[in-house]
Amino acid sequence: MLFLFWAEFKRSWIQLLRYSSEVIGGIIGTTIIFYGLFLSARYIAGPGFQFGDRLDAIIVGYVLWALMLFILGDIAGGLQQEARTGTLEQLFLSPYSAPQVFLMRAFASLTLNLAINLSILLLIMVLTGSRLAFPITLIPPLLAVLMGAYGISFAMGSLALILKQVQQLLSVFQFGLLFLFTAPVETWTGGMRIIGWLLPMAPGAGLLRDVMARGMDLNAQALALALLNGALYLVVGLALFRWSEQETKRQGKLSGY
Amino acid sequence: MHILETHQLKKTYRSRGKTLAAVRDVSLSIAAAEVLAFLGPNGAGKTTTIKMIAGLILPDSGSVRIAGCDPHRDSRALKLIGAVLEGNRNLYWRLTPSENLEYFGVLRGLTPRVARQRARDLLERFDLGDKRRALVQTLSRGMQQKLAIAVALIHDPQLLLLDEPTLGLDVEATESVKRLVREIAAEGRAILLTTHQLDIAEELSDRVAIINQGTVVVEEPTSELIRQFSEATYRIELEHPLDAERTNKLRSLGAVVEPKQIYLRDPDLLYTVVDGLRPLPILRVERDQASLRDIFLTLVRQGRLPELSNSGGEVRSGQLH
Repeated sequence: MLFLFWAEFKRSWIQLLRYSSEVIGGIIGTTIIFYGLFLSARYIAGPGFQFGDRLDAIIVGYVLWALMLFILGDIAGGLQQEARTGTLEQLFLSPYSAPQVFLMRAFASLTLNLAINLSILLLIMVLTGSRLAFPITLIPPLLAVLMGAYGISFAMGSLALILKQVQQLLSVFQFGLLFLFTAPVETWTGGMRIIGWLLPMAPGAGLLRDVMARGMDLNAQALALALLNGALYLVVGLALFRWSEQETKRQGKLSGY
Repeated sequence: MHILETHQLKKTYRSRGKTLAAVRDVSLSIAAAEVLAFLGPNGAGKTTTIKMIAGLILPDSGSVRIAGCDPHRDSRALKLIGAVLEGNRNLYWRLTPSENLEYFGVLRGLTPRVARQRARDLLERFDLGDKRRALVQTLSRGMQQKLAIAVALIHDPQLLLLDEPTLGLDVEATESVKRLVREIAAEGRAILLTTHQLDIAEELSDRVAIINQGTVVVEEPTSELIRQFSEATYRIELEHPLDAERTNKLRSLGAVVEPKQIYLRDPDLLYTVVDGLRPLPILRVERDQASLRDIFLTLVRQGRLPELSNSGGEVRSGQLH
């Protein structure tokens, strides 16, 4: 598995360096969209309004959303792309199982995605004057968010395997994800709080807002819930992927596009 | 020893309330160092069969064994298969040939060091050494196809599945792929080859299986099949028209005589007839030989008849004499 991880890591970075203009375009585009939203919000609020830690909280949510989109693009988008170009079946001829191959592929490109999103975050911070904190305690909730993000991406990857043409669905789905990452579930109370715990990635995103934007310490109980949430979505996503692989093979539609 | 054995493979597709029996009771076997040409018209079930062998499509029933392992249950079987699938690029176009070979080598279970070494050897052997650092998308179609075959061999598989390996290639590239197929088989690998270019199938294959409407209608050694379908007829072509006296004499022996051509159904008469023609100039003496193309067309046309399509044996016995 380590060799497979290394091969995927090498492949990701070679393609990134060889086609760096695409990545740079992605970083600039994502940053410009946020800056446009920021300028609009400032215009509506008026020149004297201070965003305070609310801006920081929104930036955390937005950058997590961008990270999610890159991961989703890697797994679900990558599957569609490979089915179209005709390398998908070669991947399924491997003695490694398809979830193993795609999980290693996702882990290998994680460094890439984190580097891209850190660039976006730093650019946004420079443009908006935001002052986010980067304590070591951000790692566990980030891990919870990543597990959830991979789970959701594998679930969408399953749809891509079964239905093939899911581009439209993915586009609509992106807006739903924006809600998950920017809704302040950590401030919800009563029955809504329980819904907030169940939503994918939302508890981890709330904790990241706490530690990065509000300077708060990690709450052990909330962290346990966030990690459980992430692990649950990852397991469900992988199980769905495994099922859709078998179903696609049964229907003889692995390469059909 | 058989590298590949399939037994009674069946696959039916269901779509919008309709069912299509794509493959019906297909049993095939290929021994080491043997090339099986798997032929059939479009939609006959070739690709479904190949993908069931490769573990990419689950059969409804029947079994596949590759050196005794089931590719649908045992991932070790996948280490024994190399495949170049039709209509697919089979390669990453944004990587170089070396990078493709090394990546797919590890994906097939090799260590990076072994994959690198095998990649170097294969690039040299496939005459792609000077293109090792070029992007695949810049290579010619022939080079891409050779590279796809090299990638399929990176993990040294015992069974190679080649689905239309010469499709869209120019004459030189086709010759090059043919040479490689011969060499790969000579190394002891079993090769399942599908192609619509029947002259290539005839040249390369040791055995032929023809599938039509999901059923194998004939499976024979190539030379035996050609022999069975070839007439025991000799044709003698003359430079000048034959005179009346010789024409009558030859006709009395049972030959069919046209002004400049003589047909003999009885091969024992050949030298009697040749002696009778002395000293007339003879341009050509040849034995009628069926081509795989003729055999294929005959079987497929007959196989389309409903009463024959379910019974390969009847088609066979109806054709052979």
